[in-house]
Amino acid sequence: MKKWQVAVVMVLAALGSWFSLGATAHAQTYTIATDTTFAPFEFQAKGGKYKGIDIDILNAIAKKENINYKLKAISFGAAVQQLSANQVDGVIAGMNVTPERQKTFDFSKAYYTSGVVMAVAKDSKVKTFKDLKGKTVALKTGTAGATYAKSIESKYGFKIKYFNESNNMYNDVKVGNSAACFEDYPVMSYGIKNGIALKIVSKQYDAGDYGFAVKKGKNAELLKKFNAGLAAIKADGTYKKIIDKYLHSSEASLTGETASSRTFIGLFTQNIGTIGNGLWMTLELTVISIILATVMGVILGVLGVMPGKLGPAISSTIIYIFRGMPLMVLAFFIYIGFPDLIGHGFKIPAFIAGMITLMLNEGAYTGAFVKGGFKAVDDGQMEAARSLGLPYWTAMRKVIMPQGIRIMIPSFINQFIITLKDTSILSVIGIVELTQTGTLIIARNFEGFKIWLMIAIIYLILITLLTWLSNWVQRRMN
Amino acid sequence: MAKVVVKDLHKSYGDNEVLKGLNLEVEDNEVVCMIGPSGSGKSTFLRCLNDLELPTQGQVIISGYDLSDKGTNINLVRENIGMVFQHFNLFPHLSVLQNITLAPVQLKKASKAEAEKTARHLLDVVGLADKVDAMPKSLSGGQKQRVAIARALAMNPKIMLFDEPTSALDPEMVGDVLDVMKRLAADGMTMIVVTHEMGFAKEVADRVVFMADGLIQESGKPDDVFDHPKSPRLQDFLNKVINV
Ligand SMILES: Nc1ncnc2c1ncn2[C@@H]1O[C@H](COP(=O)(O)OP(=O)(O)OP(=O)(O)O)[C@@H](O)[C@H]1O
Ligand SMILES: [Mg+2]
Repeated sequence: MKKWQVAVVMVLAALGSWFSLGATAHAQTYTIATDTTFAPFEFQAKGGKYKGIDIDILNAIAKKENINYKLKAISFGAAVQQLSANQVDGVIAGMNVTPERQKTFDFSKAYYTSGVVMAVAKDSKVKTFKDLKGKTVALKTGTAGATYAKSIESKYGFKIKYFNESNNMYNDVKVGNSAACFEDYPVMSYGIKNGIALKIVSKQYDAGDYGFAVKKGKNAELLKKFNAGLAAIKADGTYKKIIDKYLHSSEASLTGETASSRTFIGLFTQNIGTIGNGLWMTLELTVISIILATVMGVILGVLGVMPGKLGPAISSTIIYIFRGMPLMVLAFFIYIGFPDLIGHGFKIPAFIAGMITLMLNEGAYTGAFVKGGFKAVDDGQMEAARSLGLPYWTAMRKVIMPQGIRIMIPSFINQFIITLKDTSILSVIGIVELTQTGTLIIARNFEGFKIWLMIAIIYLILITLLTWLSNWVQRRMN
Repeated sequence: MAKVVVKDLHKSYGDNEVLKGLNLEVEDNEVVCMIGPSGSGKSTFLRCLNDLELPTQGQVIISGYDLSDKGTNINLVRENIGMVFQHFNLFPHLSVLQNITLAPVQLKKASKAEAEKTARHLLDVVGLADKVDAMPKSLSGGQKQRVAIARALAMNPKIMLFDEPTSALDPEMVGDVLDVMKRLAADGMTMIVVTHEMGFAKEVADRVVFMADGLIQESGKPDDVFDHPKSPRLQDFLNKVINV
């Protein structure tokens, strides 16, 4: 076997093992989804471990009731979608029990009750809802704060802007793009205590219950155990200990960070493990996707220049569909839409879904320029090869492809760089790659500028290395 | 049967009928030169002989194999017909030697070593023994065309087709290429040559065929065609060519 054949076989084998893992993982172990950035209910501590009221309560209940579970931290929106799509068994993510949600989910007894408050920048003049007239209000999608603000939107005449991450929402208010945000009281007061430069200016509205959710009519057993466990930890004092621990201590004492670790270098060394994991995930996704997309692109390109009508028609259609679809839509479709369509509890691991997404999207772009590259080879080349008696595929392989690929090299390098950058979009389906790692770290230490600078530098280094490597290959080929 | 038999050959591109019913037979060892005005369909005709173009109607029979017959293995027929193009069409990513050995090795006509030996010999014949490892882009037009001829000969064809092999060359290069072709003719190769080189046609051709408007208008021995043209079209054509 040639080297590239070995590589293809290895990739296929790796794919196969991932799929089988995905298929066997669900037996007795429940998958419980949680939010990634909703301190003090859930947040990532140093070293990448999740902590928070939700996490500790779940853990304590699981111990009491002998529940085996796997925690899956994804964005709140994705967690809710995945629960309704049967991708996870339960969600504990500071989720308010609402009549709307009760149509799709069954909730446990309330494990916490809290109300919504309005917070503004420290130096803001906004004091009451009336001051919001004509201004913009930042909200986090799917939260009680969002629901409440939406209900008073027309009454007070403000505009709404949605965010997926709490931290981005706070920041928008802090820098003055938005006049205020609405957030659950414990979340907001915890954040302020830990350095978010906002202040709470309203009392609590719309007090609501937080509940653990399962899909309606499913996992009744799990729900029953949760309720029983909740009662038990309330009775023996564990519950109160957990709440006190999180609401009455500073974050640093929970995450193990010290003041000296707030310098750029300090932050870097503190988070090097987490960043390293994210970086590794990004690299893994990039390399595998580049290989798969290149294979797919070359197949599409060859189909596109094949004699006859069928090959080119198939090629154009596939390129048209996958090049036209925004990467994020494609990712959601494959990760959430597709399993929904198949039913029967079919699940795709996020990593596989992300890889397929990148393969299809980048493969379509690759296909388009591969086709163009083959077409750019002079027709006389094929005629000369054929007139020597070479069969079509031999002529393609030995004469057209080597010349076409030379034309395509700059496009390939470009596409590799785009693929690397596009991996960041896959954070929407909960893949903790480099960008998502940044979001998670900031959610706990609020050091937006330094961490994003760090992440940006890492991307630039990666892209520089990739460009060097590509140029080296290019020089070798000429 | 003749080596090449063409019966009532028609070829249209959409509504444009380029070949309007050609008949031609070429015998073993015969050298046929085709002349005619631009756009008369000479290239199209030549390309129909090795199936680079699919005729709309009619028959092409090469060494007894009917090209329109589904059972005919076109790749096998092509191995027996060498073709030389106006613009050489050398493979730019391969060296001179690789250009020549690609087809014989791929088609398992010869081992790599044998093919290289043949290639060196052919390069010697066309006077380019020192260019074995050169890349095509470093060669002059005349050298490229001689490599192209060697490449076609490497498949040991029984018939050679030439489509204006010298018309893209600087005048001082033309002689080298024509010399190679003359030698081939002298060695008994069956050749169909589309050319504007009237001197070559006069000297080498067994028969000259004049094509115009998609039909063979006149054909015969070089002396007859050039010195005693019958049709006004041919007289007109020769006047123009010779006066240029
Ligand atoms: N692939 C094609 N599609 C459409 N029309 C074509 C194609 N190839 C050739 N033709 C047309 O067929 C006619 C004959 O072309 P052909 O190349 O055979 O002429 P020719 O006698 O070789 O001319 P020249 O001496 O200029 O090479 C021309 O009118 C040309 O436009
Ligand atoms: Mg021509």
